Amino acid sequence: MGGSLNANHLLFLGHGALWTIGLSLIAFAGGGIAAFIIALCRISPNRAVRIVTAGYVQLIQGTPLLVIMFLSYFGLSAIGFSISPLAAAGASLTVYVSAYLGEIWRGCIQAVPKPQWEAAEGLALTKAERMTKVILPQAIRIATPPTVGFMVQIIKNTSLASVVGFVELARAGQIINNSLFEPFLTYSVIAVIYFALCYPISRLSRRLERRSGLPRIKPVTA
Amino acid sequence: MTKHMLFATAIAVGVATMATTGARADLLDDIMAAKKIRIATDLAIPPSGMMDGSMKPTGSDVETAQLLAKDWGLELEFIQTTGATRIPNVQTNKADIIISTLSVTPERAKVIDFSKPYAALQSVVGCLKAVQVKDWPDLKGKTIAVSRGTTQDTALTNMKDRELTLARFDDDATMVTAAVSGQADCMATSATIVNQVGVKNPARPFEPKVLITTFDLAIGIRKGEPRLVEKLNEWVSANLKNGKLNEIYKKFHGSELPAAMLQ
Repeated sequence: MGGSLNANHLLFLGHGALWTIGLSLIAFAGGGIAAFIIALCRISPNRAVRIVTAGYVQLIQGTPLLVIMFLSYFGLSAIGFSISPLAAAGASLTVYVSAYLGEIWRGCIQAVPKPQWEAAEGLALTKAERMTKVILPQAIRIATPPTVGFMVQIIKNTSLASVVGFVELARAGQIINNSLFEPFLTYSVIAVIYFALCYPISRLSRRLERRSGLPRIKPVTA
Repeated sequence: MTKHMLFATAIAVGVATMATTGARADLLDDIMAAKKIRIATDLAIPPSGMMDGSMKPTGSDVETAQLLAKDWGLELEFIQTTGATRIPNVQTNKADIIISTLSVTPERAKVIDFSKPYAALQSVVGCLKAVQVKDWPDLKGKTIAVSRGTTQDTALTNMKDRELTLARFDDDATMVTAAVSGQADCMATSATIVNQVGVKNPARPFEPKVLITTFDLAIGIRKGEPRLVEKLNEWVSANLKNGKLNEIYKKFHGSELPAAMLQ
C-alpha cells in the first residue's frame, strides 16, 4: 500500500489500454457486420423477418451489457461450453453493438427521403442497385455522426469486460488505485487516456462529414 | 468486494444450480497432473491482494497462494477476478481454488466448500481519533463510509434498529479517499484499512472504535471435491502450526492472527 505513481504503473495502464483498443476493434468489426445485416432485416419486405429481428433488438437493448458478458462467460461454462474470456467479451460486445448500431442504421436508411426511393424505382434499378447506388450512399452520410457517437460509447463500455477477468484500462486503473490509494491522480490519468482514444475518432467523424463529397440532402417537397 | 455484488450473487446461485449437475474427474488429480494450480485472487483489495511498485502481485493472499504452490511443487497461475466473480470462477472451473479474502458465510457455504480458515479479518467501525465514539449508540446520526457489497456493508445494513447512516463507495481506495478528504468521519472496514487513513493524511488520523465482527477467511473450492478440501485442510493446519501463515498475516496486516487459530 502507498508509494507513488511510477513508470511501471504507466506501463501497466498502457497494457490495459491495448486491451481496451483490441476489444473495441472486435466490437466495431463484428458488431458492424452484424448490425448491417440487422438493419437490412429490419426493413425487409418479409414481415416474419422484420418481427424476428425486432424481437432480437428489443431483447438485447433491454439487457445490460454486463449481464450479457456474465451469462456468456459463466453461464455458457455452466452448461458445458468452455469459452475463453476474449471470446466471451468479443461475442457479447458484438451482440450488443449489433442491436444498437443495427437500429441506428435502420433509422438512417429510412431517413433517406421517400422521393429518392421512388426515383430509384422509377429508373428501373434492381433492388440491389437501388440500395447500393442510391439509398446507402445517402444513408451513410446521415449515419456518420450517430455511429461515431456510439463507437465512442463502446470504447468506454469495454470497461465492463473486467467482469470476465479482463484487465483493460479501467480495471488496470482500479488495481493501481487500490495499491496507491491515489484516486484523483490515477483516475485523471485514465481519463486522459480514454480521451486520447476517443477524441481522434470524433475529429475523424467531423472530417468524414465534411469531405464525404456526397451532396447534402435537401428536403424535397412533393 | 466490489459493485455488482447483488447481481453477481443472484447469477452465482443460478450458475451453481446448473453446475452441480454432471460428474467430473477429481479436481486434485487434475491439478497434480497439470502441475499447475489456478488460484482466483482479486488484486485490487489491499492489503490482501494488490500490486507493488513494479506491478508484481503482492499481499497476504498472494503470498499465501505462493506458499501453497511452492509446498505442493506446482506452478502458480493467478486468475484475475473481482470480488463479485470469485465464486463463479471456481463454480465454472475457470479457477481451481479461491484465495481472496473470502469470508466464511452460511450463504456462500450453500454454493461452495470452504477449507479450514487460514486467516481472520477484523471488521471494525473506525472514526477520526478526535470523535468521541465508544459504542453503537454514539454512531447514531454519523455518516459511515463502507465499500459497496462487502460483508461490512451487509452487516451494517442489517442493523436497522441502530439507525446508522451509510455512504456506500465503490472500493476501499475511494472509501479511504472519502475519509482522507473529509467526506466521512467514520468508516466500516478492516482494521488495517482504518489505520491507512492517517498515513495518507496525518491531519486526519483514524482509529478502530467499534468491533463489528471477526470473519474467518478460508480457501474456496467448488462443491464435491472432498480429496482436495482434505489436502488443503492439512496444508492450512500445518502452516498455522509452523507459524508461516501468521508471519504472512503480520507482514501485511500489522497484527497477529487470533491465538485460537494457531493451535
